[in-house]
Amino acid sequence: MFKLSSEIVLSTKGIVKEFPGVVALKGVDFDLRQSEIHSVVGQNGAGKSTLVKILSGVYTPTRGEIFVRGVRVRIRNVRDAKKLGITLVHQEATLVPNLSVAENIALALYGVRGTVFARAKEKELLELARNYLELVKLRIDPRSKVRDLGVGERQLVQIARAIAENADIICLDEPTSPLTSMEAKVLFEVMEELRKKGKSMVFITHRVEEVFQIANRVTVLRDGVKVFTEDVSKTSPYEVIKHMLGKELEEFYPPRVEAKSLSRVSPRLRVVSLTTASNGKGVKLEGVSFDVYPGEILGVVGLLGSGKTELGKALVGAQRVVSGEIYVNGVKATIKSPVDALKLGIFYIPEDRRREGLVTQLTISDNIVLPKVFKTSSMSLIRQAQVERSIAGRWIKSLRIVPSDPSFKVANLSGGNQQKVVIAKSLETGAKILILDEPTFGIDIGTKVEIRKLIRSLASEGYSIVLLTSDVDEALALSDRILVIASGRVTNVMENRNLSREILISMLGGQVG
Amino acid sequence: MVSTPRNLREILGAVTKYELGGPLLALALLVAASSALSPRFLEPYNQRILLLQTAPLALIALGESMIILMGSIDLSPGSTMALAGVVSAAAFRVYGFQLHASLAIGALVGLAVGAVNGLLVTKARIPSFVATLASLVAGRGLVLVLTEGQPIVGLSQYRVLTIELVGVPVMVWLFILFGAINYVLLKRTSVGLLTYAIGGNEEAVRYSGVRVDIVKLVNFSLAGGYYAIAGLMMNARLEVAYPWTGWGYELDAIASCVLGGIMLSGGVGNPLGPVVGAYMLTLLTNVLILLGVNPYLQWVVKGVVLVTAAVALTRGVRYVK
Ligand SMILES: Nc1ncnc2c1ncn2[C@@H]1O[C@H](COP(=O)(O)OP(=O)(O)OP(=O)(O)O)[C@@H](O)[C@H]1O
Ligand SMILES: [Mg+2]
Repeated sequence: MFKLSSEIVLSTKGIVKEFPGVVALKGVDFDLRQSEIHSVVGQNGAGKSTLVKILSGVYTPTRGEIFVRGVRVRIRNVRDAKKLGITLVHQEATLVPNLSVAENIALALYGVRGTVFARAKEKELLELARNYLELVKLRIDPRSKVRDLGVGERQLVQIARAIAENADIICLDEPTSPLTSMEAKVLFEVMEELRKKGKSMVFITHRVEEVFQIANRVTVLRDGVKVFTEDVSKTSPYEVIKHMLGKELEEFYPPRVEAKSLSRVSPRLRVVSLTTASNGKGVKLEGVSFDVYPGEILGVVGLLGSGKTELGKALVGAQRVVSGEIYVNGVKATIKSPVDALKLGIFYIPEDRRREGLVTQLTISDNIVLPKVFKTSSMSLIRQAQVERSIAGRWIKSLRIVPSDPSFKVANLSGGNQQKVVIAKSLETGAKILILDEPTFGIDIGTKVEIRKLIRSLASEGYSIVLLTSDVDEALALSDRILVIASGRVTNVMENRNLSREILISMLGGQVG
Repeated sequence: MVSTPRNLREILGAVTKYELGGPLLALALLVAASSALSPRFLEPYNQRILLLQTAPLALIALGESMIILMGSIDLSPGSTMALAGVVSAAAFRVYGFQLHASLAIGALVGLAVGAVNGLLVTKARIPSFVATLASLVAGRGLVLVLTEGQPIVGLSQYRVLTIELVGVPVMVWLFILFGAINYVLLKRTSVGLLTYAIGGNEEAVRYSGVRVDIVKLVNFSLAGGYYAIAGLMMNARLEVAYPWTGWGYELDAIASCVLGGIMLSGGVGNPLGPVVGAYMLTLLTNVLILLGVNPYLQWVVKGVVLVTAAVALTRGVRYVK
C-alpha cells in the first residue's frame, strides 16, 4: 500500500481552552492537510466551535501551540488569522443585515487589505460580488439587503465572503445546518471545487452522512477530547457515531407509532385560506388552509423560502395577515400578537434562536421560565427561586443540557444547547398547539433522537403539533400527515402512509423556481 | 517580581467579575483620593451634606436605571421632578392641602408623567428618546406656566424629610429604602426579570407571548414616581420650590447609571449601581468645590470621568451600540 504524503498546512498541539467553570478543550492535537476537507464532528458542547474559533483568532487558547505550514504562530485575533489565510464561517450569521450583499462582501475585502477609505465604484463592486456569488451558485441580486435573505442564503453569502477574503484555510462551522439536502449538495460542489483549487477546509457538521459525502478525513471530539481521527475511506458512519456518543446508537428515528387514539373528530386548529401581506422580504402566504387535530403532528415540508417561517409567524400574530381565518377549538380567533396566541394555547418556536428565541445575557433558568414568570411567582410578582430552579433542572435533565447548572449564562452555551433551552421554554408554557420551526437544527444525533421522541410523546399526550421542517426524513419519521408548501402555497396534503422519501423529495423539487 | 502584576491582575479580574465590583472599586479609590486631597472631606458635617445632595440624584438615577435596563432611555427626570415639586408646593401653599396630602399629590404627578411616557412609547410607538424628550420640554413648560417663573416659598414644613432619625436624615433613609426596593424589584420579581429580558432581547420576549407593553408601562410609571420623590426632596432641602429645579438632571441621572455599571445597551447592570454612581458623581462635585476648582472646569472633569468609566465598562465588550 502507498500513502499519499500531503503537506500539513495547519496543526495544533495540546490545545486547552478554559472558560470560567468549563474546560471546553482538554489538550487537542489536530492537523489539516493541503487540499483536504477535514470534518469535525461531536455532540453539542463537545468543543467543535471552540476549536475553530481558536484557529481563526476569535478565542486565544489557554495553553497549547498552533503551527501553520510547520511554523509556530501566535494567533491573537481575527486579523492575525486572516493574515495567515485562515477564515471562519460562523455558526451564527455574521453579516451586516442593513447592508447589501455586495457591500457585505466588500467589507471583508476592506478588512483584509486595510483600505476602508478606498471605496470601490459601485459597478465594480457589483461585478465582484456577482463573481463570488456565482462561485457559491447563489442567484440573487447583489444589491439586495442581507436582512431580506433567508438563513440559508445568508450562509452562502458568508461562504462567498470567505472566498473573497482569499483564505487558504476555511473553517466552516455547521454550514449545512440551515440548508436542505439539495442546497447542501450545491455547497458540497462548491467545496469540492475549492479543494481542487488547493484550499483546505475544516468542516463541522452534525449530519454524519455528510462526512461520508464530502470529507477526506474525520475527527471526533467528545467532551473537549479528540477521541478519533481517520481517513473517511477507512471508517464507517457506524463507527463515527459510536465514537461521538461513546456508546452505540440503538435507533436513529424512533419508530412511528400510529396514534391509536387519533380520532379526527373536531380540529383543534383550523386555518382557512390564510393570506399574509407581502412585506418585501420572503414570500407571502396565499390561501393556506389546513386542520390539526388533538394528538396530531402535521409536518409542513418545504424548501428554504417556501413560506414555512411565515406560516409559523402568521399563526401567532407576528406576521400581518390580510385575509383568512383561524379557528381554535371551533371558535374563531383573533390573533394580533404572540400574547393573544399564547392565551389560546398556541406557541411558536422560532428557527432563528439567537434573535427571536433567547435572551442570551440571562441564565438558562431565566430563559426557560420567562414566558410564565407571572405564574411561577407568588402573587404574580415575587419570584420563587426554588420553583424556577426545579423547573429548569427538570428540563436540563430531560433534554440533557450541558452544562447542567441552571444559572449558567445562555450566551456561553454551545449552539445546540441553546436550541434545547428554546425548546424547554416553549414546552414549559403549557401551550397545547406547538409550532416548531426547524426544531432540530444544529442538534447532535443523540439529542435529535431525544427531541424527536419528545415530540412524539407530546403528541400522544394530546398536544397538536405543527412541525415546520425542510428535513424530509424528519417529516416522514414524525408526522401523521404531511403538507407540502412551496412559494407560499400548499401544493400537497397527504396521509403519511407508505410515502417514500424519493416521492416526497420530488414533490419539493418539482415546485422549485 | 514577576508574580506581583499577575496577582494584581487576578485580583482586579476577580473584583470586576461581580457586576458591582467595578463601581465599588472606583468608589473606594475616589474616597481614598478625596480624603488624601482634602482633610475636610471625611468630616461628618461634609459627609452629611454629601449624602443629602446625593439623595435626590440617587432617586432619579434609580428610576432612570429601570428604563435603561429595558434598553430605552428617559430624558424626563429633571422636568418631572420639577413638576412634582412645584405642584406639591402649590397644593400645600396655594390650595391649603395638608402636608401629607401635598406630598402624595407630588408623587402622583410623577407617576402620571411616567405613565404618559409609557403610553407614548407603547401605544403611540414613539421611540423612548423622542417621547421623553417631548416630556422634558413640555414638562418644564408646564412648570413655568404654573409658577409664572416664580419660586414658591415657605415650605419649611417639608423639613420632615431633612430631620434626623437615628442620626441620619430621613431623606438618606429614603434613598437607602428605595435602593433596597429597587434591588428587590429588579432581582426578585417577575417584572424585574422581564425588565432585564426586554433590555437583552425584546424580540425574543415578544415571541415568548409576554405582555412587553405592560412591563414598559409599569417601569416608566414607577420611574416617574422616583423622580417625583426626588423633586419633593429638593423642596425639603431648599424649603423653596424653584421652577428651574432639576434643570439638566437627566444627564446626571444617565451619568450616574453609567458610573454605576448600567450598560446603555440594556439588560446588564446591578440595581444598586446607580446609587453608587450617584454618590460618586456628587462626591466629585463636592471635592472639586472643596478644592476650589473653577466651576466651569468641574464640568470638564465630570466629562472626563464619565468617559473613563465608559471605557472601563466596555472593556471586554465586543461591540457597543
Ligand atoms: N464564551 C464562553 N464562555 C463559557 N463557556 C463557553 C463559552 N463558549 C463555549 N463555552 C462552553 O464550551 C463548551 C464547548 O462549546 P462549543 O461551542 O465549542 O461546542 P460545540 O461542539 O460547537 O457544540 P454545538 O454542536 O452545540 O455547536 C460548551 O460546554 C460551552 O458551554
Ligand atoms: Mg458549535
